[in-house]
Amino acid sequence: MPIELTLNGESIALDIDPRTPLLDVLRDRHGLTGAKAVCREGFCGACTVHIDGQAVPSCLRPIGLLQGCNVVTVEGLTAPGTLNRVQQAFIDHDVVQCGMCFPGMVMTLTTFLDGTPNPNRDEVKSALVGNICRCTGYERIIDAVLSIRSEGVA
Amino acid sequence: MTAQTGYGLITTPQTVAEAVAAMAGGAVPIAGATWLLRAPLRHEPMPDRLMSLRCLTEVQALDIGPERAVIGAMVTHDALAGALAGQPDLAGLATAAGASANPGIRRIATLGGNLGAAGFAASDLVPALLAADVTAVLATGSGLQSLPMAAFLAGRGGGGLILRVEIARSARRAAHARLPMRKAGDYPCAIVSVSADVSGGTIRDIRIAVGAVESTARRWSSLEDRLTGTALDPARAEAAAREMSDDFTARDAVDAPGWYRLSVLPVLLRRAFTQIKV
Ligand SMILES: Cc1cc2nc3c(=O)[nH]c(=O)nc-3n(C[C@H](O)[C@H](O)[C@H](O)COP(=O)(O)OP(=O)(O)OC[C@H]3O[C@@H](n4cnc5c(N)ncnc54)[C@H](O)[C@@H]3O)c2cc1C
Ligand code: FES
Ligand code: FES
Repeated sequence: MPIELTLNGESIALDIDPRTPLLDVLRDRHGLTGAKAVCREGFCGACTVHIDGQAVPSCLRPIGLLQGCNVVTVEGLTAPGTLNRVQQAFIDHDVVQCGMCFPGMVMTLTTFLDGTPNPNRDEVKSALVGNICRCTGYERIIDAVLSIRSEGVA
Repeated sequence: MTAQTGYGLITTPQTVAEAVAAMAGGAVPIAGATWLLRAPLRHEPMPDRLMSLRCLTEVQALDIGPERAVIGAMVTHDALAGALAGQPDLAGLATAAGASANPGIRRIATLGGNLGAAGFAASDLVPALLAADVTAVLATGSGLQSLPMAAFLAGRGGGGLILRVEIARSARRAAHARLPMRKAGDYPCAIVSVSADVSGGTIRDIRIAVGAVESTARRWSSLEDRLTGTALDPARAEAAAREMSDDFTARDAVDAPGWYRLSVLPVLLRRAFTQIKV
């Protein structure tokens, strides 16, 4: 029996090994390469997607556990050609270097800000514990996030 | 329901009896999947017959009552940390659940999976549950089994579906101190979890559990005996722990050598005591 779920607003059915990580389904079957395969063991966060509204690593989500779930990747986060406020802040603050970690960062920070609209610096750092960036040193990322707090600029 | 393909299958039993029967037939429970999906990285085979627990109401409980706390096997670290906030006797377990791993993992990894991952030495929940003196409730082929944590850990691998843990509430104070190699996000290389009954500044009774140092967490009974009846004094506790740390045969692993784990244990004990004292 195929596994049925919603991917970026479209219903899909998969008749594959249920142990297949969602990450591989996204990248290999659907051409959604925003989620990156880096560590494949839950440490780096580069593969983060939203499943039923929660930011989680897609490398550790077997497709067989996702029956009926709603999966959103960075490609489906906003309408084509538009950016959400986290993406826009990253551009405005010239945050991105190689970009490998950024889809995961965007996915993590988008849900984080939904639940914590006025974070302080430490809260942003704690939210990013599972998103590793090899290039930037993080501080500008945090500045960018603080700039879009609902109470305004840090 | 069964998600069956040409490659492997995940069954989804609707009752505990069905789950126990499926396990007897060789199905392996899969909860958050954060341990099981990494089997290839550990050079272990990935089971090809898995059993999802998502339809079993018996493993979803999360009830923190005044007399008793009941925590189902499918409760995630994240949900557990949220539910235990502000409860002094369960503060160690709250910290264990809220500081383990990273936020994305905490949203999916479960209590049952943390207890069921027998090869995982650095579990945060196991020492916290030992210190909290919980009872693990399992469903087996011969009925329900209630086991103290130490007995559960000794028999781990013998099968049985973990349904929940139960904790008697008390006026004790608890704390959990862990040392990852980075500030956060790594496995801890040593853990100390403490639950103490303190009155008038004196320790009337204490449980100290140590994790990540040996391959399985355990109570530090000799130190508990030494500190019972003494003042709640972080510096004295650290000194006593330093004298007695050769009670452990620490494991060497890629994150830290054994001697390092032992050398930080007394400091972690002091930190846990300092938290309890506040
Ligand atoms: C990057 C990373 C960092 C981590 N850091 C930490 C940390 O610092 N501290 C910490 O405590 N944990 C940490 N973890 C989590 C830990 O390593 C395990 O992956 C996790 O506890 C397993 O839980 P799960 O629900 O995903 O279990 P699963 O992977 O689904 O299962 C694990 C084992 O438990 C068995 N099992 C599951 N549920 C039951 C049940 N109800 N009855 C019987 N058996 C069952 C399974 O069959 C399997 O053998 C980390 C994980 C990752 C990926
Ligand atoms: S690739 Fe998934 S967390 Fe690193
Ligand atoms: S910008 Fe290169 S890894 Fe983050």
